[in-house]
This record gives sequence, structure tokens and C-alpha cells, in this order.
Amino acid sequence: MAQHQVNYTQSGGLPVALTTVDKILNWGRSNSVWALTYGLACCAIEMMASGASRYDFDRFGTIFRASPRQADLMIVAGTLTKKHAEFIRRLYDQMTEPKWVISMGSCANTGGMFNTYATVQGVDRVIPVDLYLPGCAPRPETLQYAVMLLQQKIRRESANKSQKPKRLV
Amino acid sequence: MQQTNKLRPFFENLEFERDDNHMVINFGPQHPSAHGQLRLILELDGEQVVRAVPDIGYLHRGMEKMAENMIYNEFLPTTDRMDYIAATANNYGFALAVERLIGLEVPRRAQVIRTMLLELNRIISHLFWLATHALDVGAMSVFLYCFREREFAMDLMEDYCGARLTHSAVRIGGVPLDLPEGWLGALAKFVNELPSNIKDYEDLLTENRIWRMRLEGVGVVPPEMARSWGCTGIMLRGSGIEYDIRKEEPYELYDELEFDIPVTDTCDSYGRYKLYMEEMRQSVRIIQQLIAMYDDTPPELMAHAPQYISAPKEDIMTQNYSLMQHFVLVTQGMRPPVGEVYVPTESPKGELGFYINSQGEPYPYRLKMRAPSFWHCGILQDLLPGTYIADIVTIIGSTNIVFGEIDR
Amino acid sequence: MMRPYTPKDNVQAKAYYTDRFWVAPRVPEEPVPEEGVYAEDLAAVKACCKVLKAYIQRGQLVIYINPEDNFEALKVLKEERWYEMLSEMSAVDFLAERGGFELFYQLLNLNTAKRIRVKCFVEENQAVESVNPLFRSADWAEREMWDLMGVKVNNHPYMKRLIMPDDWEGHPLRKSYPLEGDEFAQWYEVDKIFGKEARDIIGPENRDPARIDRYDTERFARLGHEVPRGAPAEEAEKSEETPVRYQEEEGVFLIEKFSPERSKVLERRK
Repeated sequence: MAQHQVNYTQSGGLPVALTTVDKILNWGRSNSVWALTYGLACCAIEMMASGASRYDFDRFGTIFRASPRQADLMIVAGTLTKKHAEFIRRLYDQMTEPKWVISMGSCANTGGMFNTYATVQGVDRVIPVDLYLPGCAPRPETLQYAVMLLQQKIRRESANKSQKPKRLV
Repeated sequence: MQQTNKLRPFFENLEFERDDNHMVINFGPQHPSAHGQLRLILELDGEQVVRAVPDIGYLHRGMEKMAENMIYNEFLPTTDRMDYIAATANNYGFALAVERLIGLEVPRRAQVIRTMLLELNRIISHLFWLATHALDVGAMSVFLYCFREREFAMDLMEDYCGARLTHSAVRIGGVPLDLPEGWLGALAKFVNELPSNIKDYEDLLTENRIWRMRLEGVGVVPPEMARSWGCTGIMLRGSGIEYDIRKEEPYELYDELEFDIPVTDTCDSYGRYKLYMEEMRQSVRIIQQLIAMYDDTPPELMAHAPQYISAPKEDIMTQNYSLMQHFVLVTQGMRPPVGEVYVPTESPKGELGFYINSQGEPYPYRLKMRAPSFWHCGILQDLLPGTYIADIVTIIGSTNIVFGEIDR
Repeated sequence: MMRPYTPKDNVQAKAYYTDRFWVAPRVPEEPVPEEGVYAEDLAAVKACCKVLKAYIQRGQLVIYINPEDNFEALKVLKEERWYEMLSEMSAVDFLAERGGFELFYQLLNLNTAKRIRVKCFVEENQAVESVNPLFRSADWAEREMWDLMGVKVNNHPYMKRLIMPDDWEGHPLRKSYPLEGDEFAQWYEVDKIFGKEARDIIGPENRDPARIDRYDTERFARLGHEVPRGAPAEEAEKSEETPVRYQEEEGVFLIEKFSPERSKVLERRK
């Protein structure tokens, strides 16, 4: 029975755990960061690899969703071109708060090696970014580390962050 | 405070409200089954597609423009990002085009290593195709199995060149590195185990009722259409036309190797699926022959052409003239002869050609990449009308398109 | 002080040093042999239109024709000589030197595995006939050529930009178009999404790939020295190092603590 597993010497002798709203909400949010499949270029292959058999992203509670309405996290994996820029903004606007963005790979961070007329020089010109992930292309381990850092970040911030107005960029 | 932004739905003069029964829907540019950033404007009559307009360019990164502003060796890593599933095939296509322009012979050991890497990349690419295609059609477990095998192949690539995805494993004039210790053994182990794994996939799929119903008779490309659209690779051989550049216009060591070109005349997605499986077996066969050839080769890795190619590292470090020449080649770049060349190679997707127009400058005057996926994507506008909307994903999957290559 | 005038017709990268005694070698242009497949192909083209020049370069036949004859020549090659596949076509920009473009059509015969390159020279505003009725693959190739180079094509069924957005200005692959784009290109996404008035907020693009500003706490955080967004950068120097580890000390209580002692490293892959 469950009651025998309760340690009555702790928590004031009650089978109750006390916490704050912030902590319990952030615990839930940080352990079920559902990512939007935003594969744009080469990094998308590494993003798929991190979801596949060897690297197994599900361990972190990160499941890829195809719809922005169901996603908390947008992993911008690959080069964002000027033609595509309006769509990334629109999909970002469609995601529900709270939402986070990981910019994966050099192209998404700064334009990377594609210093050309057709490439947006960093997705942070279009949407606000929480975490920049260097590499071309970053290994799946790197992406997993980035998600772990993001979880840490989520746990630190206040739970009703969504009430605050979000920056334009 | 956030300002309301200027984004309004923008559908390029499409009328969504129409008088007839047709419906216009937008597919993409960010769709999980579109294999990248494909946008399709579909006009539907019930569930049947009446008109399909593919819209590309969402991954146009200006590679051809970059090529005009880079010296030849500098551009090589950019080719990695074209068909990023089999990067070495692109590196090789570019390196071969420049070598053909200069008129360079590559040492035999470099040839063996290059051919090995090309075939390993073909296996990686086909495994990835099978994984994503099966995932799109609805067979999730095949995705996981294929990625397991693909990771072992990626480990081999990583042991050789240090990168998983963007290899740059081929240089103009040869290869930069010899094979590391024990690599051949690992490769032999991988290719010996692969056929039994391919058999596992086939057991899961070939006679699977759902798989056959989703693929048979779907995406039929008649031979005339394939020829007219410039289809190459498996899209062409799936339509009953036996043409493989490795056999017809042999490059590298392919004229010494024994392998078969699988052809089918069913013209549909199911036939193409069978070709992919068979091609993986043939690649295994090629690699096994190459492993036997490797030991008899002399140790040179780069061609000897002081005007174009740097000397080996030992010479650069010990001999003054080699150092000077290396310095010039790195800072100013090689100056190939004036002229133009078009060199086709058989990449995993089809005919990958590089057209280079050189004016004797260290920068290419014009570099045009003939990417197979570009035409395989264009064919969608002739292929999709008449099919059902549920088959669109199957058809896109079986054309095996990659957007880094289409938009360049 | 006056800035020196630099010509704007070719703004691509140029070699900064050229030996003035350097004569560039040429890829040999061999004459077409008297007999063989290529001789018959050339004869077939000569029978229908004027051939300006023909030679063999690196094993492929190159034929120069007049731009008005492109449809006729390709039709003969397709229907009489079985060059059934147009594997590539595009243009090369020679606006600065000769005021026009050089078009090439790369054809393939699937039976003999022979390749032919048909070339023609068009003036800047001269249009060529579309070969779309012969080869469907010309559909996209011609659209791409119009989009990126600005070569006009007549009688194309759906002439519209293919690669660049519909509201794009300029043809990016011309030599006069800079690699990093003109002003329109550099502000394109900002203008489109937020409007021109947001240019001041967002600022110009950073085109210097090596630029890193460690004092910019608005956009960067230093791992291990994190400060709140926008806080003065001196705080990062002063603050104690925050541990860059997955497990926080005062972390969420429901998650099991990870300790390195209890972790296990596999000897070999399973």
C-alpha cells in the first residue's frame, strides 16, 4: 500500500509534499517540452536523428509535434531564408504561451556560412530566441544538451511569465 | 508591448471561394511530410487533385552566387549542404568536375577510398529514404530500425572524416586522409551485417498489406514523362529505362567493379521501393570488392600537379618551395584553364552534374549545379493531378527529393 | 576627398593579384571528327539551321547556334537524333563584356550515352523561344533562368518567379548584383513582417561572421556567467560562476538527483 511507503519523519509526518505553484508548474512544463518539427535544412536531419533510435529524445519528455498549437518549443533547425521568414513568424505567433525557441546551428544563429542575399542573418531578426546552439550541423548530443539547458531555464523563471508582454524580437 | 505585426495571409492571387466545387488548399512550406520546405498549392475536386502547383525556393541560399565569389577549394564545403543526406556525393561531383576541367588524374588509393565513401553514402541515403518514406506512409518501426543502421554507417563516416553529416571528405585531386587503423575491418563488419538487416526491412514491408496498398499503382511515371522531365537515377530506372551513369559513362573505378543495375517497368512507387532495396545490396557488393582492392594500392593520396594542388603535408613542412606554392594556392587559389565542362555523376538521388565555366580566374565565372531533385520536384505538377490527397505524401516520399539540392 | 570610381557592372570577387605575364591555358577544343555519332549529329543540326561554331571539349560536342534557331535545333536533335533528355539549361552572364547572356542546353542521348551542349548568345533584352513543348524539364529551368538571371523567354505557359519570392526586386545571379544583396534584399524580411518603421528597432544585418560582442547581454549569455537579460555586462564579470551542470542544487524535488558516481560508462556499444 502506498501509505507504508510514506516517510512520516519528513514533510511534517504527512503524506503531503509542499511546494510552490512556480515549482510545480515549471516541473510540469520543463519535463514535457514538446517541440515543433521545424526542420529547415541539414540540421533537420540531426534533429530527426536525435528523435530516433540511438539518441531517443523521448527520454527528456521531448516529443515532436507537427502542429504549432500543441508545441511549446520551436527548434529552428536550419537556414532561414528571406522567402520563408514570414512563415516562421506566423507559426511562432500561432504557438500558445508559454513558448520557447532554440536556434539550432550556425545558419539559424547568424546566417552561418551563407552570407548571401537570400539568407536571413539570424532568426533573432524575426523571432525572439532563448537558446543559441552552435555547430554546423550540431550533433544530436548537442541538441539534447540544449534542451536540458532550456529545462533548467524554464525551472528558474516564474510560472506566470506568459502574462508579461513578449518582446517584438 | 508587442505591436501587431504586418502579417496577413498571403496566397498569391488564389481565390479560395470559388463557384465550382473545387477547393484550393495550401500544403507547406513547413509540412512534416514534405521532406523539407515544399509548398504545394492543390486544387481539389472532392479528394482528387485537379491541379498542383509546387512552389519552391524556401531554401534558396544562393550557392551558385557564393561559388562565383569563392576560390575552388573554398567552395567545396558548401557542396556538403546541397544534398545533405549524402554529402560526399556532392563533394565528389564538384571535385570531379574541377579535375576534369584541369585534366587531372587521381592516384589509385584515393580512387578506392572515394568509391568506398560514395557507396557508403549511397547506403546512408537509401536508409534515410526508407526511414522517412516508411514514416510518412505510416510504418513507424521501420524508421527506428533504419536509423539504427544508419547511425552505424555515420559512425564509419565520422571515424574517417570527423563529421556526421557534412563530410567534406573528398578534395580536389584526391582525398586528404588515408583510412584510419581498423576502419576497413569495421566497414567489412558493417557491410556484412547489412544484407540481413535489409532482409528484416523487407520482411516488414514487402508483403505488408498496407504498404502494398499504399504504394502499388501510386505515382506512376510513364517512361515518356520520365525522359521528358529529365528524371534520372531510380526515378528513371523505375520507369523501365536502364541508364546508370556508373555503367554508361563510368568514372572513378566503376568500370572495374562488378555490380548490377536493377530496373523495373512497374513505374510506380512500389517498384521504386524495390529498386532502393536492391541498390543497397549492390552497394554492399561494390564495397566488398573495394575492400579487397585497397591493400594493393600505392600510398599516394593526392594527385601531383604543383600548379593546382598543394604538395603533401610532409613536403610543405620540410621543403621551402612546397611551402611557397601551398601559400599561393591557399591565399590566391588555383587558376584552372579557360573553358567549360559539364560532368555528370550518379549521386544517390540521380544525375548530379556540375557545369563550370572558367575564365582562367581563381573564381569560377559561372557554376551551375544540375541537382536531380530539382526535376524530380518539378514532375509533381504532372504527377499529382488525378491522384487522391492521401497519396500525395507517398508520391513526394518516393521521388526522394531533398530541398538543399532543389533550391541550392 | 573623392571616392575612386569602381565599375558596378561586375561586383563579384576578383583576384587581387595577377601576374601580368600570366597567360591562362585553355581547355583544348578539338575539331569534330569526320565520322561517328557526333559528326552525324552536327550534320543534322547543320541541315536545319546555321551553326556558328562546333567543337568537342572534354568529350562532349559543343554547338553554337543563333538564338532564333534554338527551338528548331533542339527539335531536330530530339526527334531525329534521339537526344531525348534536356538534363540542364541555364545562362551565363556576359553583360559586362559583351552585353548579353550565353545560354546552354545540355542534352543527353540515353541510347548512345552521348552528351551535347547547344549554346547561343542572346542580347540583354532579346527573348528566346521556350523549348517547353519539346522538353517538359525546360518548364522549371526557364523559370529559374528568368528568375535568377533575367533572361526573357517567349511562349512559356507559366512564366513566374520560381526561386525568389514574387515581390523580389532584381535578378540575383547577375554579375551586377552583389553577393550580400542590395538594400531591398537586406531589409526584405523586416519590411515584410514588421513594416519599414521597425527597421530602427531591429537594426541592420550583421554581415561580419566573426563579430561577437561579449558585453551584449541583450542577445548573448555566457555559459557559467549568466546575468538577467539586458543587465550591465560588469555583473557578469563580478558574479560567481554559476555551475554549468544539468542538475541544480536547489532543483525540482521530484526529479531524482544525478550524481556522477552512480553513472555508468559502457565499455562498448550495445
